[in-house]
Amino acid sequence: MTWWQALIAAGAVPGSGGKGDEPGAADHADLVEGSELTTHPVGDHNAQIPAVVSFLNGIERWHVVAYDGVAQVVSAFVAAAVRRRDKHGVLHTSVERSRAFAIAPLQSMSPALRQILEQSGADVEPMDGALAGQPARYLEQVESTVRRVRAHLEREIAEACIDKLGGDEWLVLDGLLSRSPSVARHPRALGVIKSHGAQFLEGRGLERALTLPAGHRTSVFAVRGGHTRTEVYSWYLRLWPWEGNDLFYGLLRIEARAHPDTVARASDLSGWLFAERAPLATPAARWDRLLYPLHHVEEYLKALAPRDIRSHRASRLPRTGT
Amino acid sequence: MIARPPPDANPIGRVVATELKPSTPHQFHFWTATETSIGIGAIVKVQEGAGSTEQGAERVVYAVVTEGFAYSDLATPLHDVVGAEGDPTRAADAPTVRQQIRYWTAAVLRHTPEEPLQPVPLGQVFLADDADVAQALRMDGFLYSATPTAIPVGLYTSAGRDAPVYLDADFLLGPEAAHLNISGVSGLATKTSAVEFLLASIFAHFPAHKGRVAALCFNVKGPDLCFLDQPGDLSDEDRQRYERLGVPSTPFERVHLYAPLKADGVNLNTLRTHPDLVGDVEPLTWGLQEVVDYAEVLLNRDDIDAKADAFIDYLRDRVLGRTFDDGFGTTHRVQTFADLDRLFRSIFDGLEVISGGRGDTWRTHHIATMRKVRNRLLNISTRCKGLVTDDGPSSDLPWNEFEDRSVYVIDIANVDPLGQDLVFARVVSKLREQLERRELGVDAVVVFVDELNKYAPGDGPDTYVKKMLLDISERGRYLGLVLFGAEQFRSQVHRRVVGNAGTQLFGRMDMDELATPGYQVLTPAIKSKLATLPIGELMVRHPHFTQPIFVRFPKPPVLRGRDGVERFPPAADVPFEDAVVRHLVRLDRRVRPNQVKDLIADREQDDVRRALAAVRRTRPDDVLAYFRKVLGARVAPQSAVPREHHAVPPLNPISDEPY
Repeated sequence: MTWWQALIAAGAVPGSGGKGDEPGAADHADLVEGSELTTHPVGDHNAQIPAVVSFLNGIERWHVVAYDGVAQVVSAFVAAAVRRRDKHGVLHTSVERSRAFAIAPLQSMSPALRQILEQSGADVEPMDGALAGQPARYLEQVESTVRRVRAHLEREIAEACIDKLGGDEWLVLDGLLSRSPSVARHPRALGVIKSHGAQFLEGRGLERALTLPAGHRTSVFAVRGGHTRTEVYSWYLRLWPWEGNDLFYGLLRIEARAHPDTVARASDLSGWLFAERAPLATPAARWDRLLYPLHHVEEYLKALAPRDIRSHRASRLPRTGT
Repeated sequence: MIARPPPDANPIGRVVATELKPSTPHQFHFWTATETSIGIGAIVKVQEGAGSTEQGAERVVYAVVTEGFAYSDLATPLHDVVGAEGDPTRAADAPTVRQQIRYWTAAVLRHTPEEPLQPVPLGQVFLADDADVAQALRMDGFLYSATPTAIPVGLYTSAGRDAPVYLDADFLLGPEAAHLNISGVSGLATKTSAVEFLLASIFAHFPAHKGRVAALCFNVKGPDLCFLDQPGDLSDEDRQRYERLGVPSTPFERVHLYAPLKADGVNLNTLRTHPDLVGDVEPLTWGLQEVVDYAEVLLNRDDIDAKADAFIDYLRDRVLGRTFDDGFGTTHRVQTFADLDRLFRSIFDGLEVISGGRGDTWRTHHIATMRKVRNRLLNISTRCKGLVTDDGPSSDLPWNEFEDRSVYVIDIANVDPLGQDLVFARVVSKLREQLERRELGVDAVVVFVDELNKYAPGDGPDTYVKKMLLDISERGRYLGLVLFGAEQFRSQVHRRVVGNAGTQLFGRMDMDELATPGYQVLTPAIKSKLATLPIGELMVRHPHFTQPIFVRFPKPPVLRGRDGVERFPPAADVPFEDAVVRHLVRLDRRVRPNQVKDLIADREQDDVRRALAAVRRTRPDDVLAYFRKVLGARVAPQSAVPREHHAVPPLNPISDEPY
């Protein structure tokens, strides 16, 4: 028996995992359901599924396409779409937007190349020229810029979608609900967060949240998320048993509007989202936390993405003379 | 003929090509919505943008769907199990339907323009309308020409369409190609029904400039073809199909049914003996003259040798129908089997008496050869009694007077197999002879033979009938002699017989048959469709169609055999006198039964049969008077001369001879 088998035999939970989500800034959470964070079983799965639901997701792609000295010129593409699920369970696109643009440190580029880029009519997001001399930091900034553009696009679409949402229709979006105040305050909008870099809980509450059994949720707590700092209510939900995997396996954090109704309906909403485990969102790597309709929107957008922006899988070996 | 409906502007799919599954000039792939009306066998059209070719012409590709696939984004079946937590009842509870695809493979039927021949473009896919179907199947060439030669074979009904499909008469009935072969499992009323419908279609559409056409059908089992002149039950849907195809939904107007007599020589050997219908059945009886030319049919492989052939030729050239001295002092005039038997007896007696039993050669022919030929020839009059008369004259088809758009049915269902072979060989040979001489009365004859497995098997000995079928298959189209063959297992029919059939129809097929090499060109989907094809649907291969096409044909406008037997139950055999009366009354309604019965009372039945045959052959105005005259003239014993030989010790019984 190995030492870890001895630990498991003595009561430790088996696990399997590695480096998880990037740690984010710790945030403050106020419990709004009960006096202590506890676990609750989710409601009846199928009884709570709304007849019509729209799902919002987005994609981003970027890669360096040219060098001006060490200054890297990036081609980027972001897209977002809302696909509406009808009463038959079939998804149809209702809103879709995309943006293809260049990211370049214009101030650091040679005049001739800068002129060509500017005269090409390309949509250019300028970057701080000071970073151009530090390629690694520059690329981090590029990534951040692309995410920001994507988030902006998703927020625009979410706000547009909210305005047209039917009387009983819900909007489920991939990521923070609190990016847009109007969306965050909507009674039928949910944000589904798969990454758990930001910690809202601590101590016993955190342990309960991260060891949540499948089919259970935590108590609801209030958080201020996103750059708008709009308050939303949130709770954790476990879709699949984590034992044998890692603490975040099958763990979602749900965001809904900050309203007493949210607390009252948290179990029912959790039951609905729990039912969304099927179909499995495979072959996505994080299928345990990715709802299939959101995965579907992502696949839809990937299919529409310009071919030259997709990540190529060609060999990077140097070409030989033959 | 073909009305173009309002153009359906909505595409139903789009061509996709990948490196692994590229488009070629002969095949491409496309996807459709999950809910689509197309299926295997549907004809589609791919349209590239107008003016996209160098010539500025719109490029269109017509194709038929040959394979279909459906799959989802499920990476492995295990994921579905996990999603349903191992409970199949929960699998349907998933709130979102997985993304699915309907992915089709289509085989190209035609490119327009034809050149340059290029891979199918990545265009939109449309359903073919009636005019598109005509284009796709290259029917426009013979449908819209100055001298159209289109024969409707059925309706293309895939994807909710209702487009007539035509065969080219030049390729169905010659001279370009000819013959039709139809395969399918038994019992689904497809093969016979299809041929019946097609004959009706040919009669309705055979172009005037190609002359006159008739059909001759061998009824080889049950009552299949016995009621072609009686109307069957048609549904409104069938009548609409007839209207759409321009074929009258009425039974054949001119049907001539022939059947041999039974052994009693007066009752007909057919299931069409109901009193209301039996009057339309002509007896088919042959005598020695008709049979001896086809003596080869009666000989099996072991019998066929130069000596037997030479002796038969000798009989045919020197003896039959001539006054002939046998060399032993007796003069013969051999016209019947009875005459022939007397000749043989005289020869054998002569050899026995003159040479004291040591003589074994007569006119260079060895006695063993003569005995063998004698046995085979005389045996036919015993085995096929009723078809072959021992000493009576023949009643035959009107070899010089075939009528246009007429069906001649020869019912040999209850005839001994040897007799069937004889009938088949003689009828087909006579047709060929008459067509060669242009003396048949029509320019083309369709000969329908069912059970080709039996008459032209792929293995087994080379029989006379098989050789004859091969001959028709390979040379008949030049004469206008067209073979419509049917069988259950195409793979078991001689390759040259089916291979020479320009048009091939397939009904529902047995899976084992579909697994044979002849069907390797078909996709699994086409095979599956063939194995489950409903009644009234066929797969058609025709020289103008580059791919098999599925069509639906209406129920034939005639009474099916089994329905006919129920509606017109066969009558029991009537006594000899009544049968004679029936024959004579059919020829002349003035004939009183009592007169006939009085006339034939105490007469020899053979004499009565001879007299009856003479009346049938002569068709006099006053039937009774002629019958009385013939009966009176022939009833007396002709001669006592041959009977003198009865005093000679008889030979060994035939059955004991080792030949």
